[in-house]
Amino acid sequence: MKSLNTMVSLRYTAYKATVAVLSLLGPVNAPALEWRNGDWQVHGFLSQGFTYTDHNQVFGTSEDGSLDFREMGLNGSVKLLPNLLISAQGLYRDAGASDDMGTRLDFAQVDYSSPLLDSTLVLGVRGGRVKVPFGLYNDTRDVLSTRPSVLLPQSIYFDTLALRQAMISADGGVMYSRYTYGEHRFGLELMTAEPRDGTGGATVFLTGIPGAQGELGGRPMFIGRAAYEWMGGRGRLMFSIVDLDRDFRSASTVAPSGNIKVQYPLFSAQYNAEHWSLTGEYGWIDSQRKGFMPVTLKNTSENFYLQGEYRFTQAISGVLRYDVFHVDRNDRDGKSLSRMTGLPRHQFYARDLTTGVRWEFAHNFLLAADYHYINGTAWLNTTDNPDLLSGVGDSDWNLFTTMLSFRF
Amino acid sequence: MRRPSDFCFAHFVVMAGLASGSWQVFFRVQRILLLSVIVLLPGTPLQAGDLKLRLIDSSGGQAQHLSSETVREIFFMRLSSWPDGSSIHVFVLPDNHPLHIRFAKEFLGVYPFQLRSAWDRLVYSGTGVAPTTVESVEDMVKRVESTPGGVGYAGE
Repeated sequence: MKSLNTMVSLRYTAYKATVAVLSLLGPVNAPALEWRNGDWQVHGFLSQGFTYTDHNQVFGTSEDGSLDFREMGLNGSVKLLPNLLISAQGLYRDAGASDDMGTRLDFAQVDYSSPLLDSTLVLGVRGGRVKVPFGLYNDTRDVLSTRPSVLLPQSIYFDTLALRQAMISADGGVMYSRYTYGEHRFGLELMTAEPRDGTGGATVFLTGIPGAQGELGGRPMFIGRAAYEWMGGRGRLMFSIVDLDRDFRSASTVAPSGNIKVQYPLFSAQYNAEHWSLTGEYGWIDSQRKGFMPVTLKNTSENFYLQGEYRFTQAISGVLRYDVFHVDRNDRDGKSLSRMTGLPRHQFYARDLTTGVRWEFAHNFLLAADYHYINGTAWLNTTDNPDLLSGVGDSDWNLFTTMLSFRF
Repeated sequence: MRRPSDFCFAHFVVMAGLASGSWQVFFRVQRILLLSVIVLLPGTPLQAGDLKLRLIDSSGGQAQHLSSETVREIFFMRLSSWPDGSSIHVFVLPDNHPLHIRFAKEFLGVYPFQLRSAWDRLVYSGTGVAPTTVESVEDMVKRVESTPGGVGYAGE
């Protein structure tokens, strides 16, 4: 009851803040920030979220209602030549214990492309700190207006786990090509980059050693994404893959050094009609950890969701999704992993039934809310939920999250 | 030009009917499909009294000779230079402007939300720029004509 009161009062505060912000910005239809006929552009976004859970914590102390979910970005792009683009984005993000990195450089890149064959073929290169091309939503996942719901399907786009940082952007280069033939469009992106796995707790996550001291090194990661689009995106098919092979050099005498290999293939499909979209993604994470234990640890997960969106009006849409994560696809109910580790079975799966709404209530303003019924705790962050390490935690729980966003 | 149609998906229903071996369902679906063709066809607006859409550009017509897929790539902001190597500057009306909706559907064969989401993905990943939004058709004509490499659309 106490948490409900807090929630109501927090929501009232959020509502008052919203009204205040809105009355300031009011009906002003701010022009886009661009110069030289759009060759110089500045864009940004500002989002504040609220999370409430009845059990387990997501993005801070959500059992009491948490406002610890904030995403802000500011970017600039300059077209120096018709086919030469320079762009950079600074990002501030706060998501409880899942993200405490604060301000960071999200991307800073140079992009050169060249149209060939009567402009049906475009070849290009991009270098610097570049966004990781992966699946349907990874490239711009910190921007609410590009997400179907407040929280992305967590089976594929981990936001609470420390693997997130390594998936956002990396330092390296991308070669890409696009080819158009009638109603068919083909795209290919190949990336090689130094993963940012020394940040955001990714080292601990990848090695599986709590409080791991040391450094990850070795060869850069390879990422590929192939896409097919039919009728300007009415139908979309995609295949993405991440290939990671890292050596861990332990800095402590207690923890051993070792090697981690990860392969993450992902298949994506989407159909867009005028009023509805149907989306699905299916993938698995193949991992192999050597040297940390007397035996080599191998595991293959299973990650997928199916999602339907309906646009009631141009401003209001709804989403319904079923999202599934199995830590081991040969042990979907977590029985043998539970026996091996002594932890409850629900820590090895998470099935999330989500329904949500999005309302673009004014130009460039978006309010989104989703409700999740979740069975399983596999993707919860253990810093926000230390009880999970000692085998405590609720297997069935509800999550409500809402976010207000402004972008330009 | 192309008009978005979900009609082809109706075949799945027919196939599902066939697969389940229920001929009754098949014939019923078939009848509904035929009926809807008859009912829908005369209703398809031919816009006799409506404005005719056309592409406009600063050079006075080079865009007219482009293939429809090239025009689509230009408005999706995935092509940044004209065949002569000069810069393309794209102008659009607001997402909810009736002429923009018609242009997206009839000229590009897509829905406005698809354009918006593609532009957002470019802008917030730094891999492209957004088109310049103008508030009215008059502004559109003025801006396109006065901007080297400008391209947009108008009704006549």
